[in-house]
Amino acid sequence: MFPVFAEVPAYPLVFVVFWGAAAFFALVTARHIRVLAAGHAPGPNPLAKIPTRTLGLIRYAFLQVRMFKDPRAGVMHFGIFWGFILLTIGTADIVTGGIIQTILSAPFDGLIWMAISAMQNVVAVIVLVFIGWAFERRLISKPARLTYNRDALSILLLIGGVVATELFAQVFEFARYGDKPGAFIAAAIANPLRSLDSGFLEAAFAVLWWARIAIVAAFLCFLPFSKHYHVAMAFPNIYYRKLAPRGELPAMDLEAEDATFGVRTLADLGWKDMLDGFTCTECGRCQQACPAWNTGKPLNPKHFIMGIREMSVEAEHGLPLIPNSAIVRETYGLDDTIQAAALAKPIVDNAIPFDAVWDCVTCGACVEACPVLIEHVDKIIGLRRNLVLEDSRFPAELNGAFRNMEGVGNPWGQPPASRLDWTKGLPFEVPIVADVAAAGKLEALDVLYWVGCAAAFDERNRKVARAFATCLDAAGLNFAVLGQEESCTGDPARRMGNDYVYQMLASGNVETLNRYRMGEKTIVTACPHCFNSIGNEYGQLGGTFRVVHHSAFLKELLAAGRLRVIDDETSPRRSVTLHDSCYMARYNNVVAEPRDVLGAVPGLDLIEMEKTGKNTFCCGAGGGRMWMEETRGTRINASRTDQALSTGAGTVATECPFCMTMMKDGLEAAENNAAGEVRAVDIAELLAESLAPRELAGRQLSVLQ
Amino acid sequence: MHIVVMTKPVPDPAAAAERLDADQRLDRAASPAVVNGNDEYALEAALKLIEAFGGEITLLTMAPAAGAETMRKALAMGATRGLLISEPALAGSDVPTTAIVLATALGGLTYDLVLAGVDTSDGGGGVVPAAIAARLRLPYLGNAAKIEPDPPNGRVTVRRITPIGYDVLEAPMPALIVCTQALGEPRYPSLKGIMAARSKELVTRTLESLGADVAGAGGAHTTTRVLGTRRPPSRGATTVVRGSAEEGATAIVELLAARRII
Repeated sequence: MFPVFAEVPAYPLVFVVFWGAAAFFALVTARHIRVLAAGHAPGPNPLAKIPTRTLGLIRYAFLQVRMFKDPRAGVMHFGIFWGFILLTIGTADIVTGGIIQTILSAPFDGLIWMAISAMQNVVAVIVLVFIGWAFERRLISKPARLTYNRDALSILLLIGGVVATELFAQVFEFARYGDKPGAFIAAAIANPLRSLDSGFLEAAFAVLWWARIAIVAAFLCFLPFSKHYHVAMAFPNIYYRKLAPRGELPAMDLEAEDATFGVRTLADLGWKDMLDGFTCTECGRCQQACPAWNTGKPLNPKHFIMGIREMSVEAEHGLPLIPNSAIVRETYGLDDTIQAAALAKPIVDNAIPFDAVWDCVTCGACVEACPVLIEHVDKIIGLRRNLVLEDSRFPAELNGAFRNMEGVGNPWGQPPASRLDWTKGLPFEVPIVADVAAAGKLEALDVLYWVGCAAAFDERNRKVARAFATCLDAAGLNFAVLGQEESCTGDPARRMGNDYVYQMLASGNVETLNRYRMGEKTIVTACPHCFNSIGNEYGQLGGTFRVVHHSAFLKELLAAGRLRVIDDETSPRRSVTLHDSCYMARYNNVVAEPRDVLGAVPGLDLIEMEKTGKNTFCCGAGGGRMWMEETRGTRINASRTDQALSTGAGTVATECPFCMTMMKDGLEAAENNAAGEVRAVDIAELLAESLAPRELAGRQLSVLQ
Repeated sequence: MHIVVMTKPVPDPAAAAERLDADQRLDRAASPAVVNGNDEYALEAALKLIEAFGGEITLLTMAPAAGAETMRKALAMGATRGLLISEPALAGSDVPTTAIVLATALGGLTYDLVLAGVDTSDGGGGVVPAAIAARLRLPYLGNAAKIEPDPPNGRVTVRRITPIGYDVLEAPMPALIVCTQALGEPRYPSLKGIMAARSKELVTRTLESLGADVAGAGGAHTTTRVLGTRRPPSRGATTVVRGSAEEGATAIVELLAARRII
């Protein structure tokens, strides 16, 4: 009946064994999906953006680009993955009665199936080598980021077992019944065995062949309970990844009276959030990248995601594998819906400690590192929203920051009247938008400079604002600032979970900007946090603006020849390292622009840190951490300062006011910079120092410091 | 237990936008208003008391009509209702008038305790609570660092801060207590609190409806006069001393010695 498998004793049993296991796998997965469906928050629309999502699937699931950030692990995983896929063709053939083989053997005289058989042989050997390597990593070299448990070893044994039994079943098959075309390695190994007793060869073949089917079936049954569930879940998880800008947090309706604000329990999550939990492979790339974990704080992004999975599994407790029909439930008084109590358990202090929720700097290093595109940060902000908006439970220091933002529109608590103090003493006028509008000259405005609170109120960052304004003036641009009409964008409030204060500030700003029709102009800012809010988040509140970071803007001015530097070849050579801002590099892909600006400054040699560009290491001030005490572990800015100093560079260039504050403090406190020789300087300051005097005005630019 | 907390709207000190108008009075429109900081400590103390003993909190203030907006912020922290005494003629009232009006308003309320802050960040007089207690012949317990009511026996014990420690005072309720910051940081209102505050009872009453006999009260009859005003001198440059505790102490001693302060 099945000519292809004529030699296999009791072949038809395969259908029972394999498809039985497959059905079990499907039922367990369906039970997981019932928990996912209990999430109230909206998930991605399953049927939208199919081309984009499919491309992402190819890029992250099939090409596994994220895996190659760790090249050794990347190569190993790629080998196992593709080997597994190729060998799965063989398995699929077996469990369908040889249909695949029959079809693929028809054209070209069986060449295709022959090629597949040959490749399977090669791949089997490669996979066995890689499995050996994986065992070596887990048992001997032991990288710190991995979670060590029996689960991983079982999976490696199962994969190795499938491949080995398949290969050697073929070897004994060939030795007893003669070679089949293509499988040349099996044939070569079979050679010395051909003379053995045929009864032994038959028995060895039968045992190994059935062992392989048994392992495949066992694998299917084991998978949904293990971290290796990712071999199935990674595909939907990658497909349904967040497509909105990384820096756009989910919108919040604060007028919904009955709603839970933010995330308290599993039920407040979306289905994709819980899918993240089931997909996590515990590889630990997130914890390895996390600045909080790296400085000894309780936050571990991996444990958080694993905790969500544990809670989801717990919520399944008592659910039957096969849901009962309504009639059965009624007749026997059964209740197999998810128990409300399991869904009412708070996530904070179960999946993640309270302190850890506040350790997050929202730098997104975990999200960037995750090969299966898990979103950690948005969930942590969801938890903060609930703690702040419903329970008023947050580190006491934030009380002042919240009140200041709400009261006077900036977290420093400075009087709005002093917003323009940074312009005092500049040799040119910094126009205010209201005056420009009153004079009817708004049309002629080239660009709005969004100064930001840090540059307006912080002593050190005021110098950056002066340098950047000097560049704008030197380029002969018609620019203006909002002055007292500007308020905090709300980013710190939003990242600290206070969407109420965020929306109050943000909608005020949107209203102001729209009043001056700034949607038609370019807005430039030197603050990556303002940049992210205005550019990526104000759309939720009806404000669509074109905002440019000062690095990109200065680069354009240089490229257009509107800014000229003095390069008389005598400029002393200086070394500089660039500390990338998370919200520029990682969140908004601005990596080349600040380097282009530094490249234009004469005499500068850029030395990169190890963690650079999209892999940058946070300064420690993101996510509202600027206004919290750092009492747990060591200081993040000290860690980053060490990284910067170890390059040997004489200057640390920054592109963000918070990074500036943190790096400045870090450098002043660093023991190996006791003389204070290495200083933090913004890219705009480095450029402004070397600008040629503006010819028309004939002004000197000695006003910077 | 019924507690009345006196919460005054004041210009937000952080805004630093206080201005005097033509009559040498505070221009309240020039600056955003907040609940007086010390009053928030009194409200926090009251909230903790009703959490422990049950009961209600009524906010009381005398302010221009816009004071209702500020009172919503205090209601968001958890108070039950608000009573605003507002009348244009009261603008520029002095301490005696304020005390008479508030005492009259208290006469129409039921309460076991009246809590007030130490002083206000705008007027800074710090005597209105004492004047009210005197008018109503209520026990006056000042500078409270701890409040322990005993409702079944109708008594309250207060720990009063003194220059050398504290006194323990006991009085029958109703009593008036002036609260210090030692009672604990005021809470940050939750969003649920803010939403609930929108529909809480907030009554604005005029003098006439109070039945107050304050003829001759208000700015026109004030017993005090502003003779002149000037800005405080701006602070000098700040010196930041860095280093270990010993280095810091040495540097500070040298600095003080150089100025002949020590």
